[in-house]
Amino acid sequence: MGYFENEFGINDNLCQMLLEKALSKGGDFADVYFEHTIENWLMLEDGKVNRSYGNILLGVGIRTVKGDQVGYGFIQELTKESMLSAAATAASLVNENSRPVASSYKSLKTPNYYPFNDSTIDIPLQSKLPVVKAINEKCFSLSNLIIKVNAGFHDSIKRILIYTSDGVKAEDILPRNFLFASTVAKKDGRTEQSWYNFGGRRDFSYYSVGMAEKLSEIVVARTVNLFDAIQPPAGEMPVVLGPGVTGILLHEAIGHGMEADFNRKKISTYSNMLGKKVAQPFVTIIDDGTNPQQLGSINVDDEGIPGKKTVMVENGILTSYLHDKISAKHYGVEPTGNGRRQSYEHYPQPRMRNTYMLGGKEAPEDVIKAAKNGIYIEDVSNGQVKIGEGDFAFYVSQGRMIEDGKLTAPIKDVNIMGNGPKMLENITMVANDLQLHEGGAGACGKGGQSVPVSFGLPTCLVKSMTVGGTRQKGGAS
Amino acid sequence: MNREIYDLCRWVIDTAKKYGATDSKARMSRRKFVEIRYRDRKPEVVKEATTRGLNLDIYIGGKFSSQSTPDLRKDALEDFIKKAVDNTHFIEDDQARSLPDQKYYAGRIDKNLQLADPEHNELTPEKQHEIAKTIENSCLEKTGDKVISVEAGTNKSEWEELILTSNGFEGTTKTTDCWAGASVTVADEGDRRPNGYFWAGARSLADMPSLDYIGEEAARRTLDLLGGKKIKTVTLPVIVENRVVGNLLNGFLSGLYGGNIQQKRSFLANKKGEQVAANLFTIIDDPLIEKAFGSRLYDGDGFPAKQRTIVKNGTIENFFIDWYYSRKLNCEPTTGGTSNLIIPPGDKSPEMLMKDLGRGILITGFIGGNSNSATGDFSIGIIGKLFENGVPVQSVAEMNIADNHLNFWNKLAAIGNDPWKYGDWLTPSLVFSDVMVAGI
Repeated sequence: MGYFENEFGINDNLCQMLLEKALSKGGDFADVYFEHTIENWLMLEDGKVNRSYGNILLGVGIRTVKGDQVGYGFIQELTKESMLSAAATAASLVNENSRPVASSYKSLKTPNYYPFNDSTIDIPLQSKLPVVKAINEKCFSLSNLIIKVNAGFHDSIKRILIYTSDGVKAEDILPRNFLFASTVAKKDGRTEQSWYNFGGRRDFSYYSVGMAEKLSEIVVARTVNLFDAIQPPAGEMPVVLGPGVTGILLHEAIGHGMEADFNRKKISTYSNMLGKKVAQPFVTIIDDGTNPQQLGSINVDDEGIPGKKTVMVENGILTSYLHDKISAKHYGVEPTGNGRRQSYEHYPQPRMRNTYMLGGKEAPEDVIKAAKNGIYIEDVSNGQVKIGEGDFAFYVSQGRMIEDGKLTAPIKDVNIMGNGPKMLENITMVANDLQLHEGGAGACGKGGQSVPVSFGLPTCLVKSMTVGGTRQKGGAS
Repeated sequence: MNREIYDLCRWVIDTAKKYGATDSKARMSRRKFVEIRYRDRKPEVVKEATTRGLNLDIYIGGKFSSQSTPDLRKDALEDFIKKAVDNTHFIEDDQARSLPDQKYYAGRIDKNLQLADPEHNELTPEKQHEIAKTIENSCLEKTGDKVISVEAGTNKSEWEELILTSNGFEGTTKTTDCWAGASVTVADEGDRRPNGYFWAGARSLADMPSLDYIGEEAARRTLDLLGGKKIKTVTLPVIVENRVVGNLLNGFLSGLYGGNIQQKRSFLANKKGEQVAANLFTIIDDPLIEKAFGSRLYDGDGFPAKQRTIVKNGTIENFFIDWYYSRKLNCEPTTGGTSNLIIPPGDKSPEMLMKDLGRGILITGFIGGNSNSATGDFSIGIIGKLFENGVPVQSVAEMNIADNHLNFWNKLAAIGNDPWKYGDWLTPSLVFSDVMVAGI
């Protein structure tokens, strides 16, 4: 720690000056957020690691808050004069008497949910190359249907320093990294493609040639599987969500509606549901910043609040929204540590971290059996939700038909449609197999900002959702 | 860009060479913007900043890397360049990788595309506050007692870049833009709170529609969403509204890019010269339209901009192929990506098209979904209005369409007279016949 002081001369006196400037025309509070991020991409195409991309982010964002109003200025040049001008921009929001700021700053101490010995960013490129190249060799060896392999490794180190006008100083180092692979296969004139990744906030020891081979096996199986896939009939039917990555559905369909900014503005479908029954008693949904090495974990949020675990739905009752400082003040509660931002160019908003549902009592096979006829979803992508209506849509990238209580043909190229509150009500069974997704590529978009998140789910049954295919139910394909 | 920046950019090229790059491309850019948002008749967000940066492409023979930094202090830059060159040595050699042959830089048109408004600085923050307030007012008046929330706002930005390459390319571009609009939420039955929006943009404030129109349009579009529900799965004609045609078109275009073709991920790879869509379907890529958002004098490789017909009467005439993939595909490059895309408009308004069709669904929004560039299969959620006897009768939500692009674009039956103005794809409303819309 002390990185910004050592590298850029940022200290308590300077930050106090910036905070004083930010509150020189009034406001409830102010904060200063420094960021230095280094990120790299190594990419393999046509058998060679033939390109790398690198990017540096360096700057400071200064925020003045008055009620629910935000003044924000940011600057890349870390000179006193430039930073004071960004603070003056933030201060221009209000025109009242100045507000005093803290005279001393206490360093925030938190557990570290993502310790590392070997930062991936410091590992030389030549050590990463064999891991990426192993994917190419393994994928081609697994199936002669594979005609193209793309693979790569992404890693970043984000260093942040936050000062708040109420006297908190917080510093953190957030690693993020993932190994990814995609394959294209051809059979009888048809082409299929698939993609997968492993990662999170990991140490470099997490990655190896062995992991590259495991990743290759998954992505090749997913691609080749699609040659047997059919489109399910269109219309309403029972849907079983498999464990793990399908938790993205929970994130989109339910989690966004529980972000407190949408609720304090009364534009979420969940705005009047706090304290009410929204699901069956066996449904508990959590948003958690404290899971070791998970992509959405944060030691401290971007407003200087420690990473926490927040129960949103407990035994079917909506118990808490996800708060930043503005919404916490609005509702008269403690912030939940969900104030996050993409970078110093952005002000914080309530955002999810790792969102998951606790496991239930059922065996996964009993959940599938109970669905009788419907679809089983193994992976989804491209989720989108309309916050006010609660309506959402997802693309099913991997799944199977359920016929007479058994998993049968793979399915492909279908969307599922639903409504968040209705889906919550319609979860009628939850299995005992909660899995958190072990990925590093998950990013959530909101208000023009993208932040890394993760998710998880046990197998569960939604008694009815709309499946969008090209076949009428009971008709020919 | 001033002389100082030009000299710094030239120094970057020279320094990359000094440390061992055989070729390089340096791009310096600067952006200044102001954003103002209003809600509950007071400012919700006031944001302002200036950003700048260097992007440096390094070639050591066929070894390639691309690096960017915002830190333009010369000593920091020298260290950045040295590390970038050092790291590039570890990349594997790719014979297709190089700067373009200089002959492809020739022929740039000398034309003022009017992409920067000389009066841009007259749009002061004070005026921007007035714009946001006016839009909020007109929106609130139109939404009446149904309103829950109106967020009205405006952004303006000024952007410029300088590109130099070690083999002689030089390019500068300066643009301005301003945007204004509102996002509206209204009360519906139960806990449903439909949210709609309307934003308009132009290179200069003078070319924007009236502020009252912007506010009223945001309100109208939101009120139109009231009562949305899914109906029984049905096959009927659909009209895809101008501003959302791009969501569908994007999936078709994915098959036309050189990268997807070379990586065997294109459902259109072998179809140049073939008719793959209805006769009505023509796409023109035109980078030379004055004041348009996609206009440019040179593309990402430095090739001079020119108009191209991509699809003519349903037949593919051109792919989007940049320098790198042209070398891998062993063909002539065109351009790596779209500029302004034009689908030539028809002569009927969406209202007239609805009257002609009698019954159908007007699709005003898409949600989620996916399009597979390798197969052309797509599936996407829709939002819109069921119309009967040419008149909207029911808002629809939670519904879906799925098809293959090679089938779907053959269903194109009519084109509206209303090309979308506020983006770089100038798409009119499109009518498709016999589309299955999945619901209950």
